[in-house]
Amino acid sequence: MIEFEGVSFVHPTGVKALDGVTLKVGGGETVAVVGENGAGKTTLVKHVTGLLKPSKGRVLVDGVATTATTTAELSRKVGVAFQNPDHQLFSESVEAEMAFALRNFGFSEELVERRVAWGLELFGLTEYRASSPLVLSGGEKKRLTLACILAWDPQVVILDEPTVGQDALQKERLAETIRMLTSTGKTILVVSHDIEFLWPIQPRVVVMKSGKVVGDGRAAEVMAQKGLLESARVAQPQLVSFHGALRSRPTSPFVDPAEARRWIAGERR
Amino acid sequence: MMWLSSGFLFRSGKSFYHRIDPRVKLLCSILMFVCAIIARFVYEIAIVVAFVLGVAAAAKALRRVGRTVAFTSLFSVLIFGLNFFVTRDLESSVLYAARFVGIVVSTSLFFVTTSPDELEQVMKTFRLPRDIVFAFVTAVRFVPVLMLDAMQIMDAQKSRGLEMQKGNVLRRIRSMVPVLVPLVVTSVVRSGELAEAMESRAYGAVPRPTSLVQYRARAADKVVAVAALLLFALTAYSFYVVLPPLGL
Ligand SMILES: Nc1ncnc2c1ncn2[C@@H]1O[C@H](COP(=O)(O)OP(=O)(O)O)[C@@H](O)[C@H]1O
Ligand SMILES: [Mg+2]
Repeated sequence: MIEFEGVSFVHPTGVKALDGVTLKVGGGETVAVVGENGAGKTTLVKHVTGLLKPSKGRVLVDGVATTATTTAELSRKVGVAFQNPDHQLFSESVEAEMAFALRNFGFSEELVERRVAWGLELFGLTEYRASSPLVLSGGEKKRLTLACILAWDPQVVILDEPTVGQDALQKERLAETIRMLTSTGKTILVVSHDIEFLWPIQPRVVVMKSGKVVGDGRAAEVMAQKGLLESARVAQPQLVSFHGALRSRPTSPFVDPAEARRWIAGERR
Repeated sequence: MMWLSSGFLFRSGKSFYHRIDPRVKLLCSILMFVCAIIARFVYEIAIVVAFVLGVAAAAKALRRVGRTVAFTSLFSVLIFGLNFFVTRDLESSVLYAARFVGIVVSTSLFFVTTSPDELEQVMKTFRLPRDIVFAFVTAVRFVPVLMLDAMQIMDAQKSRGLEMQKGNVLRRIRSMVPVLVPLVVTSVVRSGELAEAMESRAYGAVPRPTSLVQYRARAADKVVAVAALLLFALTAYSFYVVLPPLGL
């Protein structure tokens, strides 16, 4: 679905934000991109929608090079929710904000109506339907931007730091939404520092450092490599550390606290 | 957009010209500015512009200042067109357009080589009210931030299917709304937050706060200032007495 072939990118300021990235994400995969601030994660994301074009190498989305098409066209397939919600909200109402992209893509008004209602419900925003998006709280704005993206049902969903400013309940709901999207066959890219949020989703994990991909594999594999995580300044999930500290332990780390609790109860008996 | 407007943005550098006292740099730019105004013929303005670009090159800022020329050439053409339309006088129309380039280039040289901090010091030496100085300097300092915001907003909206390159003029203007609204809103919100943050860091607590940097003109600065004045006198003299009146 998404292919990076030896992609390098140098910002106009001379910063080399991507350095020979080769990465293949298949349709229906859920991939988490982790790495310290400035590792190049957002730059990577911008290459998928063609907002940035590689200085070297190629990026293919659904077999088409991003250089051969426009962002507006690509975004029909790839929905990106960027880090800062204040950078996109502009409409008079929450509803109109959600409808903006749908109308850009020429959806029928009846379909717009239906998709908007669905998105508002999914993200618990129905009560704000007629309010201005600018008066929402930080977390609500963030959820609205996610709803805006999911509303047009893109094949690929990219979330850049989606958990910033969200409380525990909303994070849990977001994780639930990601699982739901995975089950409907979407390709998902989640950029996040929030390891505890990512861990229960059990995605494929791509570790970035100084514009390079330095680790790539199943969550359990990557998160077990302490040296790799330390060098990329990524924290190890607490459940993985806990698992590592046990004298007798199951073969794979616990995915969520409930699983750990069950195992401990079993050991006691 | 970013490319064009950066012609007036400060870019840090270590050249001799960068290190001159900002007040002297202001003097130099004003003198070049005045030269461009008093010049009576196009070729005289060309000499002034060439000189300014020469100084810019010495300050390793030729590309930035050069961008200004590119940016303002549009306005120059407009000035020429309007003048010619009204007066039907080719020579004076070209002169006005060229004069505009001269004015812009000399101003740009000052802003490109003077940091916002230096600007603040310069304004303080003129004893302008502190709030005004602060507002002006902060505005200058936030221009790059604003441009970065604009880029990010455009990225976000393009990712929602906003076409900015296609369509007729009306459509393109309409497509600016989703960019301008967040830009204005974030700026207003930011300025409010900045004000709060500054007041909680005691802005305005005393009428005359102390200053970390005290500018004192060094000998080199004085030499440059005197040289600039002499050169200016010489130029003015040549313009009016020595150089022949060469029209187009
Ligand atoms: N518009 C830009 N202009 C210049 N440099 C940039 C720009 N955007 C990002 N960078 C630089 O590129 C590098 C990677 O940035 P980014 O992809 O945003 O990192 P991350 O999202 O992993 O924190 C950083 O060093 C950053 O300073
Ligand atoms: Mg980022």
